[in-house]
Amino acid sequence: MDRSTSNLKEKVVNRAINSLRKDKRIEQISFAAIARELGVGIEEISSFYTSTEDIILEVQKKNWESLHRYWDRHIKKANTPGDFKNAFELFFERFVDTLSKDADLHLELCCYLPKCIKYREKNRQKVKQKFKNLIKRGWPGKDEKVLERQTELVTVLFYGFVDHVVHIPKTERTKILRDFRNMLNLHLQDRKFF
Amino acid sequence: MKVDVQKKVKIIRKAMDSIRKSDKTLHTIAFPRLAEEMDIPFNEITEFFLSIEDIFLNEQKRVNRKIENFLETGLKNAKTANDAKELLETTFLTFIELLPDYSDLVFSASFYLPKCIEERNRVKQYYRQVFRKIIKKGWPGKIDAVLDRQTDLVLLSAYGFYEYCATVGKRERKVILKDFNNMINLHLQDRLFF
Repeated sequence: MDRSTSNLKEKVVNRAINSLRKDKRIEQISFAAIARELGVGIEEISSFYTSTEDIILEVQKKNWESLHRYWDRHIKKANTPGDFKNAFELFFERFVDTLSKDADLHLELCCYLPKCIKYREKNRQKVKQKFKNLIKRGWPGKDEKVLERQTELVTVLFYGFVDHVVHIPKTERTKILRDFRNMLNLHLQDRKFF
Repeated sequence: MKVDVQKKVKIIRKAMDSIRKSDKTLHTIAFPRLAEEMDIPFNEITEFFLSIEDIFLNEQKRVNRKIENFLETGLKNAKTANDAKELLETTFLTFIELLPDYSDLVFSASFYLPKCIEERNRVKQYYRQVFRKIIKKGWPGKIDAVLDRQTDLVLLSAYGFYEYCATVGKRERKVILKDFNNMINLHLQDRLFF
């Protein structure tokens, strides 16, 4: 994809999001209006997207793919339990750092639009699998059952964290991130778990 | 159960089944069409609901109202720290028991349909206040700043728990409940927090 196409796609996404921020109604978004505002033909926009749902899905995928790439780099480099713990923590940090100013709107749409819900569920399994791997290697010695249950809890909490963090101002996100990580750490260190 | 309540419940169940089968975005489902698919006269639905949004709002409020009543009564009767601790645990149990089979659809609607978003925000504020009171009573001796931060963590955990429980069966909900309560307890007992 050349730069001008990429720029245009980004502009289309921004216009759609601005419109959603104003009206909060997906059906209010008109490709014709976006095309007019951007001074391009409607067929140019339709060549990338067939619906508003497609636009949101692509943003969702793009954000998560980028996050996974970052995460995988750190997982790949990890050797010791300390490194794996670090990769576990870096994921949350990166997640918060890369949240856009419209993250609240994105989350709301991703929990609502059918294609986005499907992707969200698929991605949740992927995230869970990585959590499991990191917990296993960062906090070694847990039996498979404990590992499964703790992984499930960490995943449950992470998704609650996502919902919370996108709805609070940027400055407060870092504060709760610290507390959240402490809570997870405490949970994963719990030797009495079962 | 009164006859009209039975009728209302039947309409809700049928509506949810049709909506699930249609695999469409909720706001695109036409109300008269829904009546047709449900094979009941249109005016029989409008006797209780005026729109799809009304059906979802009704379901959302039904569960919220029951939990709120449970919490208010529980708080009134909680005399000791142990009573308050027990109240928090039984609230999550009551919650999962109240969630209907179609709670994933209700969860999804609460992120987009305006009245449902409003209700979601209202009840989140309510839970925050009540959880704070329960934590203060059940785990006494915390300073206000710690109380606020721990309340936020419990609140976000509860929303992650809700998302998970809305998408799994009753059996899985019960399985995770014990672990979830243990983890919340561990977090609230944490004397090293800060």
